[in-house]
Amino acid sequence: MLFNSLEYLLFLPLVVILYFTFPAKWRWLLLLVASYIFYMSWKMEYVILIAFTTLVDYLVALKIGAQTVKRKKKFWLILSLVINLGMLAGFKYLNFFADTVNMFFNATGASPPFSLYKILLPVGISFYIFQSLSYTIDVYRGYKKPETHLGKFALYVSFFPQLVAGPIERSTSLLPQIHQPLEFDEARLVSGLKLMLWGFFKKLVIADRLGMFVSYIYENPGQHNGIPVILATMLFAFQLYCDFSGYTDIARGSARLMGYDLMINFNRPLIARSLRDFWNRWHISLTTWFRDYVLYSLPYIHQKKVITWKVHRNLVITFLLMGFWHGAAWTFIIFGLFHGLMLVLEAVAERPVALIYERTGLSRFPKIKNGLGIFYTFTTLTFSLFFFRANSLTDSDLLMLKAFDFSNTTASIRLLLRNNELIFGILMIAVLLLVEQYHDRHNLIQKIASKPLALRWSVYIGFVFFILLFGVLHNQKFIYFQF
Amino acid sequence: MLFIMLLMMINVVLDQSFKALSVHNILNKRMDEQFAEYTDTLKYLSLGNSHNCVNTYLLEKSFNYGSPSENYIQSYYKLKHILEHSGKKPEYLLLQADISTYGAKIADRYEYNSYWIKYIDYPELARIKNDRQVLTKWLEGKFFSYAGNYKDVQLSIVYRIKIKTLEMHNGFRPHRDYRNFAEEPNRQQLAWDKAHLFSTPGVYFDPTIKAYFKKILQLCEDNGIKVYLIRYPVSQEFYTEETKIVPAGKLYPEVERIASDYSSYLGTLDYHNLFFEHPEYFFDPDHLNIKGSDLFTLKLADDLRLLSR
Repeated sequence: MLFNSLEYLLFLPLVVILYFTFPAKWRWLLLLVASYIFYMSWKMEYVILIAFTTLVDYLVALKIGAQTVKRKKKFWLILSLVINLGMLAGFKYLNFFADTVNMFFNATGASPPFSLYKILLPVGISFYIFQSLSYTIDVYRGYKKPETHLGKFALYVSFFPQLVAGPIERSTSLLPQIHQPLEFDEARLVSGLKLMLWGFFKKLVIADRLGMFVSYIYENPGQHNGIPVILATMLFAFQLYCDFSGYTDIARGSARLMGYDLMINFNRPLIARSLRDFWNRWHISLTTWFRDYVLYSLPYIHQKKVITWKVHRNLVITFLLMGFWHGAAWTFIIFGLFHGLMLVLEAVAERPVALIYERTGLSRFPKIKNGLGIFYTFTTLTFSLFFFRANSLTDSDLLMLKAFDFSNTTASIRLLLRNNELIFGILMIAVLLLVEQYHDRHNLIQKIASKPLALRWSVYIGFVFFILLFGVLHNQKFIYFQF
Repeated sequence: MLFIMLLMMINVVLDQSFKALSVHNILNKRMDEQFAEYTDTLKYLSLGNSHNCVNTYLLEKSFNYGSPSENYIQSYYKLKHILEHSGKKPEYLLLQADISTYGAKIADRYEYNSYWIKYIDYPELARIKNDRQVLTKWLEGKFFSYAGNYKDVQLSIVYRIKIKTLEMHNGFRPHRDYRNFAEEPNRQQLAWDKAHLFSTPGVYFDPTIKAYFKKILQLCEDNGIKVYLIRYPVSQEFYTEETKIVPAGKLYPEVERIASDYSSYLGTLDYHNLFFEHPEYFFDPDHLNIKGSDLFTLKLADDLRLLSR
């Protein structure tokens, strides 16, 4: 059941209406049933996995909470890690590992030892396992008391608006909300609907439109060269942002209808002034997860002194794992590794760059400095997306080579200019950036809300029909569903 | 509540405006009207999508009932509707059988549902295709005809500016002529684009298309209609690109094998390479222009005359 499907547009209002007509005491049960129905709409059998993860982490957390000896606590935590990460490895990475070993054997002339299995990746597995794991780790670290109510904990793991692609919520934030259901609040409902509408605009009008052009280039890597390849990769950055942040807006909006606040996952990442800034603004729930549970768990202090090279090493390891989290392919590993290394480079170069700005006098012109920062970040990000979007390493190599082949440029430009969808998509990107910029400075939503009723409604109604008319309504999947 | 009512009212206005003003709806409706008014003997009925370029001025006693982007699913329901409701029955069906007719992309093209809603049995289609999403197409056709159809709005404007007259004779509409494929600087790239719009590697004979192909042939057999499969002329560049995606050597024998099971099937008339040396007869890689469709129809009429002797 995709957010951009008719089924969801019937399912959500039904759940919201039932939610507020149910006695507050039993609302968790309604939401739990709705969440499981939502998940089963993809593939019924995989509900066993989410139920199993829930049960394991529920019991493990109770065991950890009951122990006073650290060693015993650790045992239960490790058990949870092994089971959860084992499931993730089995469903997501098994074929990748087998294939890699086979490749090695093939290269040495020996016959490959493993046969590959056709495993369908359960939707959202990387998200709900991470969410559930964060809870057990928080209980182990003493940040959270174990949840005693199995049903409410199950709802925390499976809450449908954020089940399949996040935001990866922390138990410290979502579980208390589940324990205290809010009464119907019209203002929250309206605000949730507005957020959903904005999400639909990003997904249907921009992401899916740009996706047509990006796929056209990336699914046929040898066919195009020069400007179309570079443009497709740049536009993929916007597609990815609009697709994923659009999903997040719909998820947060859906949750808000019922009074739940999910965390902000994006903060205008495409205007980031450095890669470090970018990762503070992009998929925040995942980056903070890796920061809190991976980066901070790796050793970097020796005899009470911070060892710089170890900090850098940890950064690279964390980003390598984060890349690998996205998918079982070398393209994602290289994507992660590239970002890790670039972040280290950025840290090392920070002082020399500041010195250059100082000496050239650029530091006196913050707008130019920021502009250069945005240009550098976007260019670096775009380069890394050659790996992220390509179907294989061979494809990404070919696309990178083709990107710098500028033969037939005039003919290519002429064809691009004839692509009305593409031009409209780029125009909509400009609208998106302007609206985000304006909203950041003047709170656009509040500004519209303060206008007279007729004007306000005209804006909302106009926007609804704009999305309906100009949206690409082909039930395109969200990119992050595959992770 | 007032807000929702307002939304619904505006939706009705937009839906009705689109149904009344969209150029495809106008053309399809005119075709329906012309078919209803057609009183002559109906010897040839041609079905298929916009590549169907049978000029009914030149092929006597014929009606060109092909609609833009029509696939076998739509052709079947239209033919069924004709036989059940119009009281007319063609002697021959000229059914489009291009290389691009059978793929998965074509099977998933459900455009202009506000027109097709009167023909298609959506629940049956959903069952055969095993896809519930098909039912949303019914909803779209009934209440939200404009939704996602910005392209049609744009096309309607372009048609009115560039073509001006929406002339039609027995369903035949002279094709767009404001561009000539021979003058395109990068014909191969254009052909590549077009070929990838219709075809996708892997599925060269979509199961749903196959099911409806059989249903058309069965319907013809049950009603005593003889069937010719027609491969319409395409540019050499387009065919080259298409055959890189679709294994014609596998597809054509499979189509032939299925069709041969039905006594209604008379044979395939293959014109795909008729104008390989004449890009000037094409509007774009796979659509003939006025001159091209005239020359093609003359050839087709001659061949049909010879075959009927």
